[in-house]
Amino acid sequence: MKRLVSAVRRSPLLATGVGMVALVVAFGVFAPWIAPYEPKEISGEVFESPSWSHLLGTNDSGADVFSRLVWGTRTTLVVAVSASALVLAIGIAFGLTAGLRGGLVDMAVMRLVDVMLGLPVLPLLIFVGAMIGSSLPTSILMIGLFLWPQTARIVRSQTLSLRTRGFVGIARGLGGGPFYVIRRHLVPALGPVIAANLVFVAGVAVAIEAGLSFLGLTDPAAVSWGAEMERAMSNSNIRFGSLWLWWLMPFGLALTFAIFGLSLIGVALEPRFNPREGRAR
Amino acid sequence: MSRDADPAPTGAGVTADVLVLTEVPAAAEPDDVPALPARRRRHWWALVAGYVATVFILLTFNFAIPRLMPGDPIDALMAFGSPTYVQDDETRAALAEYYKLDKPLVTQYFGYLSGLARGDLGVSIFNNTPIRGDLGGKIGWSFLLIVTATGISVLIGIPLGVHSGWKRGKRTDRGLLAFFLAYQNLPIFVIGAAAFVLLTFKLGLFPYGGGSTPFNDYTGLDKVLDVARHLALPATMMGLDAATYQYLVMRSSMVGELGSDYLLVGRAKGLRERRLKYRYAGRNALLPVVSVIGLQFSLAITSAIFIERIFSYPGLGNYMFQSVAVRDYPAIQGAFLVLTLTVVTVNLVVDLLYRRLDPRTAA
Repeated sequence: MKRLVSAVRRSPLLATGVGMVALVVAFGVFAPWIAPYEPKEISGEVFESPSWSHLLGTNDSGADVFSRLVWGTRTTLVVAVSASALVLAIGIAFGLTAGLRGGLVDMAVMRLVDVMLGLPVLPLLIFVGAMIGSSLPTSILMIGLFLWPQTARIVRSQTLSLRTRGFVGIARGLGGGPFYVIRRHLVPALGPVIAANLVFVAGVAVAIEAGLSFLGLTDPAAVSWGAEMERAMSNSNIRFGSLWLWWLMPFGLALTFAIFGLSLIGVALEPRFNPREGRAR
Repeated sequence: MSRDADPAPTGAGVTADVLVLTEVPAAAEPDDVPALPARRRRHWWALVAGYVATVFILLTFNFAIPRLMPGDPIDALMAFGSPTYVQDDETRAALAEYYKLDKPLVTQYFGYLSGLARGDLGVSIFNNTPIRGDLGGKIGWSFLLIVTATGISVLIGIPLGVHSGWKRGKRTDRGLLAFFLAYQNLPIFVIGAAAFVLLTFKLGLFPYGGGSTPFNDYTGLDKVLDVARHLALPATMMGLDAATYQYLVMRSSMVGELGSDYLLVGRAKGLRERRLKYRYAGRNALLPVVSVIGLQFSLAITSAIFIERIFSYPGLGNYMFQSVAVRDYPAIQGAFLVLTLTVVTVNLVVDLLYRRLDPRTAA
């Protein structure tokens, strides 16, 4: 935590990113206090223009758009956190195994990673979502299952370079078991590199989930930014008046804001901790 | 972006420029640019083996997923109350024939593979037509969209990247870099939807979606112009999206060339700036971008799905979207298979071509 604070002080890029993400998190956590209405509550006429009682007007069912925007933040947060946790778990498991065991295991894992990286992710997710049925948990699970290879690759290459460093050899020589070495030496050393990657993964996961919802692949009852954009785009009234400015655009902007914040953090973390990036090519 | 603030050269003239140029490589790589795709030395047969494995996985996926659905796929498809409910024995018979569900799995699998080999993709439930014919009409539109978009992205990304890299650290460079880095974070469906509503409905600059005017009887040039008018906005939005990555790679590759000796020699010979910039540095910096353009095909398919949905463009992506909307499972399967096989095949071709272009990646 202390290191984070001092890092934020030094880098305006990181500070901006952390600030943006913190704002999104705050909206999600305090949604019930910020949003004036329940997200599905019919609180006015259909397609009301913005007013003090409805900051962003109402949608096609008369629900308050601003409240739906605020509540939708939660979906975004859930996706960002759980999808990246899943990617982290799978990526570390494969990456560490490949890096530490080496040999045939390493080769098998890396071939799998190569094949997975060549797969077109979005068509696959659409296909599985359409076939098995789409809901938030399935989307998250699928995103996790398809995004881990990059993380595994990074973890493996870092592990390979760490493995040959002196302190790991000494710990092993003094009788440290594999789990001790992983916990005591590898995880702390890997942490910063993985953090940068994970922030990127979270951004990608948020974008993919919103994209799937935008294509209609989500639980129809869910309140999410992508799903609301889909609803607005499928409604032919969107072409009339300024409806699009307060029904369609806020969700797109919120999504961009969240993704931008995450990627600023990722960019700010990357060069500092990645020894390869620091060197001129 | 504040990090790449290297001291701007004060005063013009050859000496100052040369000084700056030789200083460049010593400075730390400042770019917030994604690392170039890692390429290892691999034999061509390793690439082909990976390709075969991928195709096999995709085919098996396409075979297995419908069979993992609860119950029998046809029951699920034709259940009363499902969006694809049809009371049509002919369709049911066609489906049962296609899936061969009464046979053991192995027989089903080989039947499926041999059907595919004959180009049999099954029958659409929604349209009750063979899917192969449906898809055949869509591929051309998607191809047109992707090729045009790629052309636009090359025209935007490469010249701007060359310019930006050449002017590294100057005001134009920082402006462009900030713009593209920010644009990179805009999901294509957000900017696409905004552009669609604003430019077609609000400003009336473009036709209301689709690939051409419905029920038109245009011929010759009118027909071409009509298609071009419908193509312009979706292709531009897709092109801009792809251009960001090309720009970033071109710029960083260009920056890598800046300190080269051949530029110093060129300068000493008194070659003109334009010639040094485009013919010397630009040409040498081009190779990584060429490979990126190829690899972007997979990305292009992704953005095409969104763009075609937003603009109701009559291509494969929109077909897939509409099939998903009515849960026309065989149609989704067919579209999925054609899309994914095209992506992995193009990736293989690009990989093999790249090896010819750059002997360093050949084993």
